[in-house]
Amino acid sequence: MFEQQIINGLTLGAVYALIALGYTMVYGIIQLINFAHGEIYMIGAFVGVMMVTILGQGFFVSIIAAMMVCMILGVLLERVAYRPLRKSTRLAALISAIGASIFLQNAMMLWKGPQPVGFPQVINDAIYHIGSVEVTKVQLIILATSAVLMAILNYIVKYVKIGKAMRAASQDYDTASLMGININRVISFTFAIGSALAAAGGVLVGIYFNTVEPLMGVMAGLKAFCAAVLGGIGSIPGAVLGGIFLGVAETIGIAAGFSTYKDAIAFSLLIIVLLFKPTGLLGKPIQRKV
Amino acid sequence: MKKKGLLLTIMVLLTLALLAAGCGGEKDSKDTAASGSGGGDTIKIGFLGATTGDQADFGSKTLAGMKMAAEDLNKEGGVLGKKIEIVEEDHGSKLSEGVNVVQKLINRDKVVAIVGDPTTGITKAVAPIAESSHVVLLSAGAVGANVVNTEDGKLREYVYRNTLLDAVAAPAVVKYLAEELGWKKVAIVTTKDLDYSVGLTKIFKKALADNGIEVVTEETIMDKDRNFAATVTAIKPHQPDGIVFTGYYTAGGLFMKEVKKQGLDINMVGGDGLLGSTLWEMGGEAVNGSMVYCGFEADPSMAQGKTKDFIERYSEANNGEMPNMFVAQGYDAVMMLADAIKAANSDDPVKFKEEIKKLKNWQGVSGTITIRENHEPLKSPVYLLEVVEGENGQQFKVKAAIPVEG
Amino acid sequence: MSAFLESILDPYYIQVLTLLGVYIIAALGLNLITGVTGMFSFGHAAYFAVGAYGAAILTVKYQFPFYGALLAGGIMAALAAVIIGFPALRLTGDYLGIVTLGFGEIIRVVFLNLDITGGALGLAGIAKESSIVLVYTLVLVTIYVMYALQNSRFGRALVAIREDDIAAEAMGINISAYKIKAFAIGCFFAGVAGALYAHLLLFLNPTDFGFAKSFEFLCFVVLGGLGSIPGVILGTSVLTLAPEFLRSLSDYRMLIYGALMVLMMIFRPNGLLGGVDLQRLVFKNKYKSQAGRSTAAGG
Repeated sequence: MFEQQIINGLTLGAVYALIALGYTMVYGIIQLINFAHGEIYMIGAFVGVMMVTILGQGFFVSIIAAMMVCMILGVLLERVAYRPLRKSTRLAALISAIGASIFLQNAMMLWKGPQPVGFPQVINDAIYHIGSVEVTKVQLIILATSAVLMAILNYIVKYVKIGKAMRAASQDYDTASLMGININRVISFTFAIGSALAAAGGVLVGIYFNTVEPLMGVMAGLKAFCAAVLGGIGSIPGAVLGGIFLGVAETIGIAAGFSTYKDAIAFSLLIIVLLFKPTGLLGKPIQRKV
Repeated sequence: MKKKGLLLTIMVLLTLALLAAGCGGEKDSKDTAASGSGGGDTIKIGFLGATTGDQADFGSKTLAGMKMAAEDLNKEGGVLGKKIEIVEEDHGSKLSEGVNVVQKLINRDKVVAIVGDPTTGITKAVAPIAESSHVVLLSAGAVGANVVNTEDGKLREYVYRNTLLDAVAAPAVVKYLAEELGWKKVAIVTTKDLDYSVGLTKIFKKALADNGIEVVTEETIMDKDRNFAATVTAIKPHQPDGIVFTGYYTAGGLFMKEVKKQGLDINMVGGDGLLGSTLWEMGGEAVNGSMVYCGFEADPSMAQGKTKDFIERYSEANNGEMPNMFVAQGYDAVMMLADAIKAANSDDPVKFKEEIKKLKNWQGVSGTITIRENHEPLKSPVYLLEVVEGENGQQFKVKAAIPVEG
Repeated sequence: MSAFLESILDPYYIQVLTLLGVYIIAALGLNLITGVTGMFSFGHAAYFAVGAYGAAILTVKYQFPFYGALLAGGIMAALAAVIIGFPALRLTGDYLGIVTLGFGEIIRVVFLNLDITGGALGLAGIAKESSIVLVYTLVLVTIYVMYALQNSRFGRALVAIREDDIAAEAMGINISAYKIKAFAIGCFFAGVAGALYAHLLLFLNPTDFGFAKSFEFLCFVVLGGLGSIPGVILGTSVLTLAPEFLRSLSDYRMLIYGALMVLMMIFRPNGLLGGVDLQRLVFKNKYKSQAGRSTAAGG
């Protein structure tokens, strides 16, 4: 049973990780907690549902479409709500993010109604037995898709020009712009990639939990943000590690009978880690110049 | 010191200016509202509930039922020759705004009655206001204790509800489970953040113990949970005969889906919180065999008269969606008020509240309601419904009709 | 006084305005923490909840007199702040914010699971004690205390910490002691406001104190103008009254509310009264020379 719960936890963790990546990349460059990120994830899930129910598309097309739509939405969000505030205080940008999040939630609620919508079955689920452990096909697809997306992200960040520009910008924003990097393009690109990953997470969660709803992004977003901080915000491997750590810990917590404390588990872990390692598991120590 | 004093004065002035601006701005709308009811051609019934936020699903369903009832009444010329007008206000699932809404409905819109809130919590919070303002509050969803009476047991004169009383219904259902279905051990799943579920679990646990059914494991979930893999994995080794699920339909359907996915071949039973087509929209085939009890025959093939007509018309207007308990109770609430107003021949709450007390065997779409001496509603018989594969997809089918008495 | 107000205002306005007063007290508390001292606190609703539940349990279950419970609510919130503050205040910036957010959620989940709070069933049977006169009297007291604090040696130390904590420490300010004290005082007011809230709404439910409420408080403070007492009062008033004014928009209400928040931040990134020195506006002549000097320096 323990191994079984680990598999359940890994699947959940993979999704947290996909959302956490968006938080961590954006934070790495502009030090903004993008609270509307959870809503992008929610909209991605809805786009997935609509692709399946209205256009009758399969899993692959739906997830790609959701990623494309959210890419545009993410870039738009940054243009409208964050770019005008880039020179302002961080709290101002944060409030703008909360406002954007309230706006998107209610826009979706007006459009689709507040009730949860079932995610149609796009994958014929099957159960595989590996030793004493049962793995469902959906779980495998979630793990595989997340792994592929993270590999692609890793490639872009390490070897593609714009990815290198992203890393430069996150190390030193001002110097990067002095070196001729078009910061606005880099930031737009970061939002696009982060949003696409969140959308993929949304569709995968929709399939795994069989349902999507307008407020699904609130807790998921908060937990994913926790995962990002836990792993060391700004660090891409940290977000993946944090997400998986959180997913497994939460699942084991529920299995151990602490399900009503589930939402507290994520935060307790986060607090404990931060008290001992103030910048997260893989975060670099903050250097302060006096 | 002088500086501070002056500053304080400015602050006070600023606040007062704001207050004045606030009142001034709102006075205009008050006048128009007043002239509406002053004309005497409408009877205003307020809706208290959420159409945004966490509880928006419950509120918007209640509102849909209320609007349908108002339409039906107005088609037949209204009540006492006056049109019924539903005044909707959203409290965004916030307690503090719920109180604001009730004050607004009573003092600005001058409603004669308020239907709501779907949750026990907000209903309890606003009950004293309705009581002291002499406006009828009819809750179409509150099931917890101390709603129609105060904490120290005093009956409220203006607060009623039309919900199924679980304290009576659940034991009858449990008896059926033990005697007819031979259940011996069950798992109880409580939705910890729903007052409805926490209260229902208490009732079920007592009834299960009385009927010799063993509770092998107790699990808790949250209403917004969508992933039950870990919880079901924890239930699995206990091999219960069935699951008692005291939460709402969305979580219930998804929970059963996970149960069947993990290869457990058992069914669940729950209260009218599970009643609604959302149950199989979420659960698919996994909810076939799941049992739900409620106060009316939510079975399109067996329902008669009012209920049948109600189910058909609602489904037609909503893409085949079946009305859930919130819709039915919202509909009945407005109808109960209308009948009380007719009987009293007055839309003065002081008068027609007396008629609500007298309702006996009142035929509603959500069941046959009797308001007892303790102001609590009684719906009898209780119908135990089962989800089956029907001609037009999944539907509820009456499995048993169990008479109950208070 | 109460009777007089009740004769000119209908109960709806009294309810809305009294609630506004309660929120102003809590927001001023947060302003001391975030606006004056510069510590991010994303969990203010938790201390508000501690005060609300603490006071309500005392009056309902132990028949405590209301004024005693009011004070006790504030003290309990301050104690919670000290207990949480000791480990948490070693962190700074967003990390502190996220840890306070975490503590806030933990407190809410604990309240949901405790027996004494009634869990999801809520805590009912609270007597109505928070009259509009009492609440606004306390608002005035809070404003006075906040001004007195900000203009004291203590307040100047807090501002120094906000501006540059390392320099402040070098000047001999014991920053952790000051931070804890500011945190505890800010939370004390949140607790008092919570106690008033409990005795105004007469029913408490843990779901009412989630992070959404914490962010609401944060918005009051940031939108009004960090560190500015009139700003915080204005911000709280605008954001508390806006949903009531927007009622006529029915379903579009919260959509517009969200959009308004974004727009207000874009056009007034320092808050509605941020950067506006009321003192200077009013006492123009007296401060003219100083004002001129500081603009020159700023330019």
